[in-house]
Amino acid sequence: MRTLLLGMGNPILSDDAIGVRLAAELGRRLPPRPDLDVREECSVGGLNLLDVLTGYQRVIVLDAVKTAAGVPGDVYRFSAGDLGDTLHLTNIHDVNLATALELGHRLGVPLPRPAQVHVFAVEVDDVVTFSERMTPALEAAFPHLADEVLEQVEALLAAGWSGFASRVNP
Amino acid sequence: MARTITIDPITRLEGHGKVEIFLDDRGAVQDCFFQIPELRGFERFVVGRPIEELPRIVTRICGVCPASHHMASAKAVDGCFGNQVAPLAHKLRDMYYHAHYIHSHIAHFYALAAPDFVLGPDADPAVRNILGVVAKVGLEIGGKVIRARALAQEIQQILGGRFTHLVWCLPGGVSKGLTAGELEQIKPMVAELASFTTFSLQLFRDVVLGNPGYVDLILHGPYTLDVHNMGLVDADNAPNFYDGQVRVVDYEGREICRYEAKDYAQHVAEHVEPWTYLKFPYLKQRGWKGFKEGPDSSLYCATPLSRLNVADRMATPRAQEAFEEMYATLGGHPCKALLACHWARLVEMVQNAEMLERYCADPEITGTQYRVIPDRVTGEGVGIVEAMRGTLTHHYTCDANAICTSANLIVGTTNNNAPIQMVTKKVAQALIQPGKEPDNGILNMVEMAFRAFDPCYSCATHYLPGQMPLTVAIHKNGSLWRELRR
Repeated sequence: MRTLLLGMGNPILSDDAIGVRLAAELGRRLPPRPDLDVREECSVGGLNLLDVLTGYQRVIVLDAVKTAAGVPGDVYRFSAGDLGDTLHLTNIHDVNLATALELGHRLGVPLPRPAQVHVFAVEVDDVVTFSERMTPALEAAFPHLADEVLEQVEALLAAGWSGFASRVNP
Repeated sequence: MARTITIDPITRLEGHGKVEIFLDDRGAVQDCFFQIPELRGFERFVVGRPIEELPRIVTRICGVCPASHHMASAKAVDGCFGNQVAPLAHKLRDMYYHAHYIHSHIAHFYALAAPDFVLGPDADPAVRNILGVVAKVGLEIGGKVIRARALAQEIQQILGGRFTHLVWCLPGGVSKGLTAGELEQIKPMVAELASFTTFSLQLFRDVVLGNPGYVDLILHGPYTLDVHNMGLVDADNAPNFYDGQVRVVDYEGREICRYEAKDYAQHVAEHVEPWTYLKFPYLKQRGWKGFKEGPDSSLYCATPLSRLNVADRMATPRAQEAFEEMYATLGGHPCKALLACHWARLVEMVQNAEMLERYCADPEITGTQYRVIPDRVTGEGVGIVEAMRGTLTHHYTCDANAICTSANLIVGTTNNNAPIQMVTKKVAQALIQPGKEPDNGILNMVEMAFRAFDPCYSCATHYLPGQMPLTVAIHKNGSLWRELRR
């Protein structure tokens, strides 16, 4: 199954770098696989993501998330299919990811099904201050986060596509 | 009893834009605030870095219009090196930027504007999106839209080497030129895009102009403001997106001022309000006069419609025809009907496509003198381009070693901050009446007021969630009374 490992985020906007940092780390540590491409940095959403995802049967997205009561460093794991219209990965200038995928499917674009878009999102703190460093708590947690996400991504890759259930991982 | 209505775009994210509407005891709109967050620390982040690095850094300010920041930054950096720039580089940058405009305008028109007009402003939010548009107009048109976007993106990749995070513009020029082979690749893409811009205009005629209700909404709805217009123009007062002079024209068509990029600080100042981080630019020589419409207002819009309002003509013939048709329908030039911004985008796309055709026919475009290596540091530069969402200014200074000592940016949406406040309030006052509870249709029509500006939240590129699910929280006596979502 042709798979894309995608780091979403802005490497110079404090904690927004977490997805990019994780993708780079996993890209170094994952054994090479002919069916796996790693794109360390991506900051587009909506229709533009169609171009990034086209041709892949499965996508693993690493990204930041900020929830109302979240603790920085918490990891959430879900699929686009699980979240439906609450998964957006976009901005107000465009459509959400679920809509973009659905549009692509209706138009015959070769894209992963929403259930095959696996998202690992890390709870973050500061995503509005320009800095090449993440906040201290996230920097400190990064080695452990990388180990944890790597383990789950390896398991996902080893299992092939089995349609895992969504869950939240503190 | 006083109430507060809050339209909060992203309820799970702190610091993002929201609309708060305050109702008086009767339930009529008393006041309205549109709050947009601002990224922090960019100036501090870039001070001390080599000035030539800035065009590569600024593409990460914003995932929405990275090429606009790249171009404005490149021009500011050119200024820091004495504006020694290869003439061919200006052509190539401009060519790239026309493709970028088409790419962006397609997404805005078809994904954001079209649902309101194809499906109706009060349509069920579940279908008022691009999927609903495609379901109504057909898969064939949906395919055309996706293909046109892809073509515009491919042209950018061929010219600049990549689509996002450009590293193409350098002091004095660009890092690669256009080969004859690449030009031959681009030509049929440009022809197809030109055809698509004509198609889009016809679709607008059929769907929007063919519905008297929509025309009435555009012309006679509450979506108008008596504030002035700003945009870049060339020597003939035709729109120029990459270069030219900034022209400000009042809402009756009289020129207020016209200036070179380097003189921007003499003409534009920024007002600060305590309830928002985002500043409110105004015409400096008139002074800050508050959120006031009228001939003495010091406020201006910088939108696609503003760009056409400050222009006497378009730069290309088919765009000129579209320009004349638009203003004839709207009752003359200039026009205050903000919803016409969507039409203006389509007219701009026609010029973008024709300019691409013009560059494809330019025998100099495949030249090899696309960069001059600057031989001196002059220490200061201002770059202004028309971002899709408004006039974008980058102002840098550097020391003798070309190390950045300061940076100041006025971004597209910031220009429109005050007008967005004002029109949102105006629309809310017109639609939310005592005794009539606001429903999703009304909320969407309030959102249409600021959606016409396509306001940019810069940082919202990919957050989870990142779209704009509106939540309306209605408060009575400071506590939540009712909540609507879409």
